[in-house]
Formats: sequence, C-alpha cells, structure tokens
Amino acid sequence: MTASHDLDLAVRLLAGTPTHEDRDPLTLRQWALAAEEFGAGLTPPPTRARVVERDDGLAAGLLARYRSRPPVVELYVDTIERAELLVGERGWRHWFPAGSVRAAALAHEEAHAWLDHPPVRRAFKRALGHTALRLGRRRLYGHVAGADELAAHAYARVACGLGRSPLLLTEALAAAAQTDGSEK
Amino acid sequence: MGVVILLVMAAGVAAMLSRKLPTAFALVLLAVVIAFVAGAPLTGKGSVLDTVLQEGAPALAATMIAILLGSWLGKLLEETGIAGTLVRKIVEFGGDRPVFVALGVLGVSALVGTVTGSAPAAMLAGLIGIPAMIAVGIPKVTAAGTILMGIAVGIPFELPLWQFFSTALELPVETVRGFMVKLFPFALVAALAYVLVESRRRGVEHAWSLRSVDGPPRAESRRKRLGDAPWYALLTPVVPLVLALGFELAIIPSLLAGVLFALFTTTRPREMNKRLLRTLYGGFEVAAPPLTLFVAIGILLAAVKLPGAVEALEPLVKAVSPQNAVVFVLVFTLLVPLCLYRGPLNVFGLGAGIAGVLIATGIYPATAVLGMATSYNQVFGVADPTSTQTVWSAQYAGVSPQQVMVRTLPYVWAVALGGLCVTAATYL
Repeated sequence: MTASHDLDLAVRLLAGTPTHEDRDPLTLRQWALAAEEFGAGLTPPPTRARVVERDDGLAAGLLARYRSRPPVVELYVDTIERAELLVGERGWRHWFPAGSVRAAALAHEEAHAWLDHPPVRRAFKRALGHTALRLGRRRLYGHVAGADELAAHAYARVACGLGRSPLLLTEALAAAAQTDGSEK
Repeated sequence: MGVVILLVMAAGVAAMLSRKLPTAFALVLLAVVIAFVAGAPLTGKGSVLDTVLQEGAPALAATMIAILLGSWLGKLLEETGIAGTLVRKIVEFGGDRPVFVALGVLGVSALVGTVTGSAPAAMLAGLIGIPAMIAVGIPKVTAAGTILMGIAVGIPFELPLWQFFSTALELPVETVRGFMVKLFPFALVAALAYVLVESRRRGVEHAWSLRSVDGPPRAESRRKRLGDAPWYALLTPVVPLVLALGFELAIIPSLLAGVLFALFTTTRPREMNKRLLRTLYGGFEVAAPPLTLFVAIGILLAAVKLPGAVEALEPLVKAVSPQNAVVFVLVFTLLVPLCLYRGPLNVFGLGAGIAGVLIATGIYPATAVLGMATSYNQVFGVADPTSTQTVWSAQYAGVSPQQVMVRTLPYVWAVALGGLCVTAATYL
C-alpha cells in the first residue's frame, strides 16, 4: 500500500512535468518504476560541492538545490525544519528518523550531481527504455523529463534508509505550505 | 516652438514611465498636443481632426492586418499542438544535454518569432519551453532569456514587422527586408553566444521543489487529446518565411498560406471551418494590444509630420544629431538604454515619433532611420523589463524581469552595435 502510494506520487511528478501532457499513464508508471530502480542502485562518489545553508526555502518552495557551476548544494534550513516538524506531527518518525531530512536532501543533490555525468546519463536513458527514434534495428533512446528527479529521490531513500519515498515529504510540505498560506 | 514640442514629448515619456497613462493613450494625447503646439488648425488640410486623427489612425492598416494574421497563425500553432510538439521532440532527443535543449528551444522561439511577436510569441514557445528547460536543469533566468533571445532571432524575419517599418518609414518592403537580412546574423550570433556562454557560466541546477507533486493531474486539454502534431505540420512556421523571403511573395498572402498550411496538415475537413473561426477570433484577442498601439503610432506619426512640427523641430534635432559615421555609431550605441522602460527611443512608443521627425526633417535618410529603429528593436524586444514578452517570460520562469534584463542586455546591446555599424557603413 505504502509502496503503491510512493509510486503514485512518482507518476504524479512525471505527469506534472512538461512534455508529458499526452502520455499514457501506464507508460509514466513504467518510467517511474525504472527511474526508481535505477536511482536506488546508484553509487555516487561523495560530492565535492560546497554546502550552503539558506533560510528562504519556504517562500521559494524549495527544500534543496544543486548548482553545477560552481558546484554548490543549497540546503533550505527553514524548509528542512518544517519537514522535521511535519514528520513528528504526522507520526512518521519510524519512516524518517530525526535528522534524516537534511541527510536526504544532501543525498538527493549528490545523486543529481552524479546523474550529470555523461556515462551515467547514457545508462539512465537505456534503463528507462524510451525509444525516441527507431531506424531498422537501431534505436535512439529519448530523454524522459523529470525521471532524474525520481532517481535522485530513490537514491536518497536508499542511502538514508528511509521507510518511504522523500516524495511523501514533498507532498506533505506542499500541503502544509498551502494551509499556512491560506491561514495568513 | 520646437523646445515646447520636446518638453511635451518628455512629459509623455514621464507619463508612460510612471504608468500614469497606458502607452497607446499617451501617444494619442501627445499627438494631439504636438499638433496644436505646431499650429495645426482643428479641421481641414494638415489639421488635428482630419489629418492627425482621421488619416493617422488607419495609416498602419497594412501592419495591423499582418499582425492579426500573425496572431491567427500563432493561435493555430498553439491549438494544433505544433509549438508544443516541437519542444517535446527537442527534449526527447536532447534532454540529457541541457545546452542542446536550450539551443532547440531557441530555434523554436526563433521560428515562432518570425510569425508573431510580443507576449504571444513568448507564450507559444515558453509555455512548454520554459518549464521543459528548467526540468532538464537549465537555470530559470537562462531559460527565460533563451526564449527572448530566440524570439529576437526571429524578429528580423517577422513579416508584420517588415510591414510596420515599410509603412511607418515609407520605405519599400524590399528595402526593409534587405536590412533585416543584414541584421539577422548579429541576432543569431548573439543568441547562440547567450545560450552557450550562459550555459557554461551557470551550468545546470536541480531543485527539490515543493511544487513537484502538488495537485492532481490537470484535466485533459484539447491539445492533450490531440497528441503530437504530424511531423510535416511542424514546418508551418517556415512556410510564410520561405514564401516571403525565398519567393518574394507579399506579406499578407505569405501569412495566409501559413494559416492554410497549418490547417490542412492538422485538421480533419469537417472541423476546418470551426477551427479557422475559433482561432481567428482568438487571434483578435491576442492582437488587440498591438493593434491599439499601431493606431496610436499612426496618429503620432501623422502629428510629427505636420509642416509646423517639422519646421519647429528641424533646427533642434539637427543640432544634436551626429552626421559623422563613427560618432553616429558611438552616440546611438550609448543611447541604447533609452529604449528600455518605455523610454523615448522605444520604437513602439515615442521612438516611432522621433523616427518620424528624423525622416521628415531630412536629417537622416529613411534607410538610416530604419537601421536605427530595427537595431533598437532588437534590444527592446529582449531586455526591456516593461515589454510584455519579457515580463511574461520572466514571471513564468519564476524570476524578475530585471534579472532577465541584466543577463540579456550585454548580448542585445552588441546586436544593436552591429546593426548601427551596418547602418553607418551602408546608409550614411
């Protein structure tokens, strides 16, 4: 049940990513599964990116961000704190141990940095198996927008030993932000 | 008298800058005041009512029809999924290399920019293009700027614009086309440089965004149900261009051919009438702001061309207008920022009036004024934080128009410099 909800969230993320407007939900589901599987199996080396803490994440709707030039991981500490509070409020501590949100954010961005490497990108495209063009026996694999996000989340879940996908946190934070906004 | 007219113009610019008056209203008011100051009678030949308002309002009618047809074609590109399909294919083929996606979206924006301008062009390319670029890791400011720089590549081949400069500056379309072809390489090189340099400097970024899974999937849109447009329909944006540029066909038939090509390649015969009417009416809605502006510009041009206004302004404008080619390039390049923020050199504002004055007083040949105006338009079309396409692209990407201005201005300033050099070398 929980795994199914995690997959539903992954499909929702893909469906909401531009370029997938007319995709068959079943195809999206297959891609989500493949992306999660690929992400879970990632073994990125520790990132050399500088870690910077910021406190304007809730306003910007961000929990973390990776920038490649220069390599920087921005952690939005206000969002991370809010996420930890939400985990406590919703009784999800067994899925997300204390301090795991920050660790997941770092792992998530580490995965993004790794997914930027050309050989990893090529392997990821093959794993997704989306054929953009077929010429006889040859086929050209197409890019699936949003799939890297799912892979990064899957890696964060495995690397931090989380009980659920970090997408669950994303969903809860988005809902909380909406409630906070309407209360103001 | 000339000083009074200049002061009136300055007051007009202030009204536009401070948003006390919408640009179109300010231009009409300016025109009427300038006409009275220039000593025009109320009615009769060279008068406020008959010459400025009655003859000025429809003076740019051919441009307005071209704008309307461009907007109609733009609506068709949107409704038939042609623009969306182009972007989707680019992401599929090059999505793992963000710079390829940016170059592809730049190409789509350029194609769209040849058909229609302003915010509708930005929306056509950007509605899917901007989030698609962001999704593959292109930073938001770079994404918004890519759409605008792409449209600017298309601007030299925007057929309604040829018609505008041809009518407003009283030049044959062939002359306008000739200069635009020379301006195009500058716009292209600047746009490519923008994408390549900015991609290299800024790299990619990926965010853990709270908005990634908010809300259930949206209801199916019409385009969604239709799916991808067929590959041959994707040629639609180049049809008017090939006809007008390659076969030297007139602008309005070229645009009409584009409309028909889009229709026949995407629509079942029994749905054609409905779609044509629906998109035409939609085109009117899209074209309403530029049409209003072109009515006002026609009125302003009629006012500054009145004999009294020309006589009053000639000595003043002559005194400050450089005749030496090098000084011409230097001065007008330094004045580039005056076309930003609806400034006095904005071609779709008071700049049109100033262009009219420069031609009517004989200070520069009309071709040189064409060179200046089109060079400034390349800047205004991308970097002006008050122009609708810049505001829309920036806000849609989630950044401020000023951020986009700062990032794109050096590139389009260089385009203006190139255009002014060509102008000085060719026409002065």
